[in-house]
Amino acid sequence: MSARDHILARIRANAGKQGLTTAAELAAARHVINARERGPLPTFGQHDPLCHFIEECARLKTTLAEVDSLTEVPREVARYLSVVLGLTNQQVRIAGWPEFAPLDWSSVQIDYANRPAAASDLIGITGCFCAIGETGTLLLLGAHNTPKVTALLPETHICIVKKSRMVATMEDAFQLCRDELGELPRATFFVSGPSRTADIEQTIVIGAHGPYRVHVVLVS
Amino acid sequence: MKVGLFVTCLVDLVRPNIGFATLKLLEDAGCEVIVPATQTCCGQPGYNSGAREISQRLARKVLAEFKDCDYVVAPSGSCSGQVKIHYVQDLFRNAAESERIEFEKLSAKWFELSDFLVNVLKLTVLSSEFAAASFPGSITYHDSCAGLREINIKHQPRKLLARSGCNLIEMNDAEKCCGFGGTFSIKLGEISTRMADNKCVNIAVTGADAVIGGDLGCLMNIEGRLRRTGDAKTQVYHFAEVLAGMAK
Amino acid sequence: MFFKQTASVKLNDAVLQKALKNAKGKFVDGRAASVATIDNWEAIRTHAAALRDRVIDSLDAYLIEFEQKAVSRGAVVHWAETADEANAIIVKIARDNSVKTVTKSKSMVSEEVALNDALEAAGVTVLETDLGEYILQLAKEPPSHIVAPAVHKSKEQVAQLFVDHHHTPRLTDIAAMTREAREVLRSHFLAADMGISGANFVIAETGTTLTVTNEGNADMVTTIPRIHCVITGIEKVIPTLDDFATLMRLLPRSAIGQSITNYLTLTTGIKAADEQEGPEQMHIVLVDAGRTKLVGSEMSEMLRCIRCGACMNHCPVYQNVGGHAYGWVYPGPMGSVLTPVYKGIEDAGDLPNASTFCGECQVVCPVKIPLPDLMRKLREQQFDMKLRPASERWAIKVWGFFVSRPALYALAARIGARFAAWIGGRDRLIHTLPGIDGWTSGRDMPAPEGKTFRELYAARQIK
Repeated sequence: MSARDHILARIRANAGKQGLTTAAELAAARHVINARERGPLPTFGQHDPLCHFIEECARLKTTLAEVDSLTEVPREVARYLSVVLGLTNQQVRIAGWPEFAPLDWSSVQIDYANRPAAASDLIGITGCFCAIGETGTLLLLGAHNTPKVTALLPETHICIVKKSRMVATMEDAFQLCRDELGELPRATFFVSGPSRTADIEQTIVIGAHGPYRVHVVLVS
Repeated sequence: MKVGLFVTCLVDLVRPNIGFATLKLLEDAGCEVIVPATQTCCGQPGYNSGAREISQRLARKVLAEFKDCDYVVAPSGSCSGQVKIHYVQDLFRNAAESERIEFEKLSAKWFELSDFLVNVLKLTVLSSEFAAASFPGSITYHDSCAGLREINIKHQPRKLLARSGCNLIEMNDAEKCCGFGGTFSIKLGEISTRMADNKCVNIAVTGADAVIGGDLGCLMNIEGRLRRTGDAKTQVYHFAEVLAGMAK
Repeated sequence: MFFKQTASVKLNDAVLQKALKNAKGKFVDGRAASVATIDNWEAIRTHAAALRDRVIDSLDAYLIEFEQKAVSRGAVVHWAETADEANAIIVKIARDNSVKTVTKSKSMVSEEVALNDALEAAGVTVLETDLGEYILQLAKEPPSHIVAPAVHKSKEQVAQLFVDHHHTPRLTDIAAMTREAREVLRSHFLAADMGISGANFVIAETGTTLTVTNEGNADMVTTIPRIHCVITGIEKVIPTLDDFATLMRLLPRSAIGQSITNYLTLTTGIKAADEQEGPEQMHIVLVDAGRTKLVGSEMSEMLRCIRCGACMNHCPVYQNVGGHAYGWVYPGPMGSVLTPVYKGIEDAGDLPNASTFCGECQVVCPVKIPLPDLMRKLREQQFDMKLRPASERWAIKVWGFFVSRPALYALAARIGARFAAWIGGRDRLIHTLPGIDGWTSGRDMPAPEGKTFRELYAARQIK
């Protein structure tokens, strides 16, 4: 017998069940899985997830800006780079997802590198699959044209969020995955603010291994 | 109303005054108090040391002694938790139905003293008594763990003490364990002492003249550490002693 | 009696005491504030406890479902009955793939099985990347807390470790130390052959394994190296993504007072042909190492544990002695249950007794594990197996003899009260008494009044 068989047998023996796991028992487990029962939800303003998202971002130290359309994104990014990072009057290189490469970056002196971020990139631009109002969370799904490293390696992560992609809860986000993609992609990545650690004297430091800054550009 | 008084083994042995204060409070409130002479201990020290059989035996003894009372009252949250919670939910959970029902009945009619005064006798009966029994100085209150977390004793003693005109100053971490824990205080004495020390520091910060509690074990632990560290002035009382005007 | 002696040393360790005091405030107050932001905390706890119980009741079926899904996504699922088997599996994966370097995100199961030692012995360089774990790897110390492993270290101690190992100027600022660690670790993240992570949960619905972090290190470890290896306990399986959502309302709040951690890293299978990132191989090692002993036992509630650390953060014993006193990887109340079960009750010593049964752990546990009851059950095992010292067993026997015999008890109490009152003397305090020196070494014992309640009451009735 393999270790697997031994472990499963021990589980069953200790639980007072005979023999191997039965088809009926597996079906019962599958039934629970397929039922996808949701747990009780707290009250947090589910009816206006966007409003709650904005509040939560402030708590998480995610900065926020709103623009009316995608075409305005480059100007907002340039403003952010200038005001927050002090990058003015210079060519700035950004690694970003292909989705946003067609925007007019050159007019705001941004060199948009349409490729996954490398360790040397200081700024990464991504979109997101959806955003979650309850916790101010961005859900990124890694795939060939949505590489996760772009949200991870640079010191500044800029995320473009379409307001139409705002959901209330993590449960809703998962349901959207099921509805639109059928199954969960390999890398499902929830980002809630810049990386942090409190491992030295429980003092919170922003900027551990991931970005120091997360800036969300909300697009109407 | 026939009320059985469960004195507790510690009160019987160490501080009978608490027992008489309880008796006075109940009798003044018009209860017919009976005190079964054969009572010894609820069994908790054995129970928490892993001696399950002995504690079951003692539980049956307690049941027999108090079976005929309308209510049972104990000046201890810890012993009350043992009877109300652990007899029913653990020791006799799998007992024969008839016996389990007897223990459920005992649990339902058993009350910690302050809980009984506030929630069964509804205070008003006692208010005139309390007016004369106020403690002259300021007090702070230590919440004993079992009373607090097993049977929700929190506001009851405070309500009563406030009624009696006590000036209560809340300490930091009033709900933190004092380190007594029954045999823990002896088995792991050094840790227990540190916990008592933390409690004493919080008491000292309030500047209260007395620390009041509802479980003699905790009170002995706190008093023992206060005295060992040279504090001879902070007084230590059970709330029953204060309420009955018997804090001496 | 390992615990008692170590605890004594820890009580007198000034650096540790300062660290524990600092941590207590942050963990306890942080949790309370964060739990207060949810209006149905108890309902969520109840639901979570029930969903964990449901899995544990049919653990075999959910593990099989999980395995099937994970395999269908390209992962290889391994099963390890013991710590040694788990290590052998992972060493073999490393050997088969010529792995020279491993980056690792925090995994308590890997601490349990001492995986780093096994890999090092096989010639593989392992680097812990969680800042706390990294600090401890430099210090060659085990974690003292399951969530905040280096909670016992002062920033001065960390600064010294960085000077010794990084050969850089001494830092005094915590943010600067964090940046230095980031910079040192960054190149290792990029170069490692294999990433090893734990899993907070594994999800049967999707075959997903996941980690909950604030630092982002688990994302590096699971994304960049060509091989990703997950090591986790068999009890970590949950049915659905929705169950994960429920548990995430509890775990970060209970652990560190956050409504959510900065990163939730869900990994499902291997990279697609067109992807530029992600592992080519994914191995999931499901470890038993004692867990099946809890299945169907009177302590099976322990398998609900989601490793938040709230029980230790709130435990007055842990708060005063820290995690190392508990002698193994799991400290605090959860450790006082797990260590005896996993390592054997015979060697548990004082652990099940390292509690006043104050009940705080049970009150804060997000999945309602009745930890005091479980510790009491272990005490019952110790009592039945005669594992406690003879003096203690004898004391319980004598006590049991007297309390069952009212007349004898009354007499003994009468004599005892008088005797103790006499020892107490004029100040009515007993300063030392053989047999209870555990008490009197640090406290006086308030002396009895001298007569028992029962005799005074009897006298009153006669009057």
